[in-house]
Amino acid sequence: MMAGAHEHSARFDELLPAYALGALDGDDLRELEAHIAAGCAECWRQIDLWQGDLEALATTVEPVMPSAELRERVLRAVDDRPPIGRISPVGPIDPIRPRRPIRSSRWLAIAATLLLVVAVWGVWRQARLSAERDNLERQVASLERRLEQTQADNRRLAKTLSLITAPGARAIQLAGLGPAQGAVGHAFVNPTTGQAIVYAFDLPAPAAGKTYQLWWIPAGRPPVPAGTFDVDAHGAARLEVDKVADAAEPKTWAVTLEPAGGLPQPSGPIVLKG
Amino acid sequence: MAEIFDLHSPLVLGLLFRILGRRSEAEEILQEVFLQVWTQAGRYDPDRASPRGWILMLARSRALDRIRRRDSSRRREEEVAGDPLLAAVHPVGTERLEAVERKSRVHSALDLLAPEQRRCIELAFFEGLTHTQIAERLQAPLGTVKSRILLGMNKLRQALGS
Repeated sequence: MMAGAHEHSARFDELLPAYALGALDGDDLRELEAHIAAGCAECWRQIDLWQGDLEALATTVEPVMPSAELRERVLRAVDDRPPIGRISPVGPIDPIRPRRPIRSSRWLAIAATLLLVVAVWGVWRQARLSAERDNLERQVASLERRLEQTQADNRRLAKTLSLITAPGARAIQLAGLGPAQGAVGHAFVNPTTGQAIVYAFDLPAPAAGKTYQLWWIPAGRPPVPAGTFDVDAHGAARLEVDKVADAAEPKTWAVTLEPAGGLPQPSGPIVLKG
Repeated sequence: MAEIFDLHSPLVLGLLFRILGRRSEAEEILQEVFLQVWTQAGRYDPDRASPRGWILMLARSRALDRIRRRDSSRRREEEVAGDPLLAAVHPVGTERLEAVERKSRVHSALDLLAPEQRRCIELAFFEGLTHTQIAERLQAPLGTVKSRILLGMNKLRQALGS
């Protein structure tokens, strides 16, 4: 049995892609429009699907950024118009399509869609703000670390200054010896408190398994270990000694190269002495 | 509305420029399109199209109307030759990734079409030509053009859906 004009058929399936594309003309167009006007739901369903495909085709163009002036002009023009839904009826969006009755529920639908767009934008913005906050938190943490470092440096400098400027403070120059001929050092001793600070410069990095060890040597007695230390990339080191016995008495200061961890008595070569 | 404009206007303006070939005219239509979006939002049916699809199709429809009203071929050839104000943009961030992915997918789909099928579809979509006009433009039999469009559109759908 032949399909009637109002009955959907494969013939219309073949016309619909070109119809959605706007390419249909002549008798084909008249035939399909008559069929659609009769209220074929299947045709509308297919047209919507084809429009979706055409949307994909439209996205193949290169985007062109509107100028700020154009943006402002458009938004200003929009502001001058009545809000959504208060405009008088206008012609169909697609001139070749019959108009459909407007359902009031579409108001809700469009409002929901616009809200969704705003919500998506909100989520995106929230993500950006969150990333920005994380970045700021990292910067704050970094600044806090630098502040702590600076404060520690200040405390150390204050301590050094206090020791050096203490009444009767003694300064001893240390000279490089043996494998560290170019090295120099300074020892500052507070004879009242017995505190001492020793600086070393231009010492070569010790070999693996080795370390530098500081000694103070009372006259006529064996050396007393005062701590081990490593040097930084520039061969420099700073060492604090909490208590030197009989600090007011003259002493010799020395640095030797020892096995890691140090020894109770020196065994390696002297690299600094004074 | 500003958000909707910012979200969709670059692609819409790109489509308008692609169809009209003249930036000043594309900008004029762009303004009309977004006014229409604003004043006819009630006509939008989310069951039938995405917001972007709806706006793009509005833009295409208006641009093709404009083309039909003007003595197209001479002006178009003049203007397409080069518009110094043309500024194609490359989106940034996730938007760029999304755009690249989207275009890549559609371009892959288009690449599956035979060149003559693609040509017919593009003439209809971007220039608003009908079967008959395409046949005249390409000096091809009308039945051949119909067949190319039908087969091309079906192939495009299969590729986009895969």
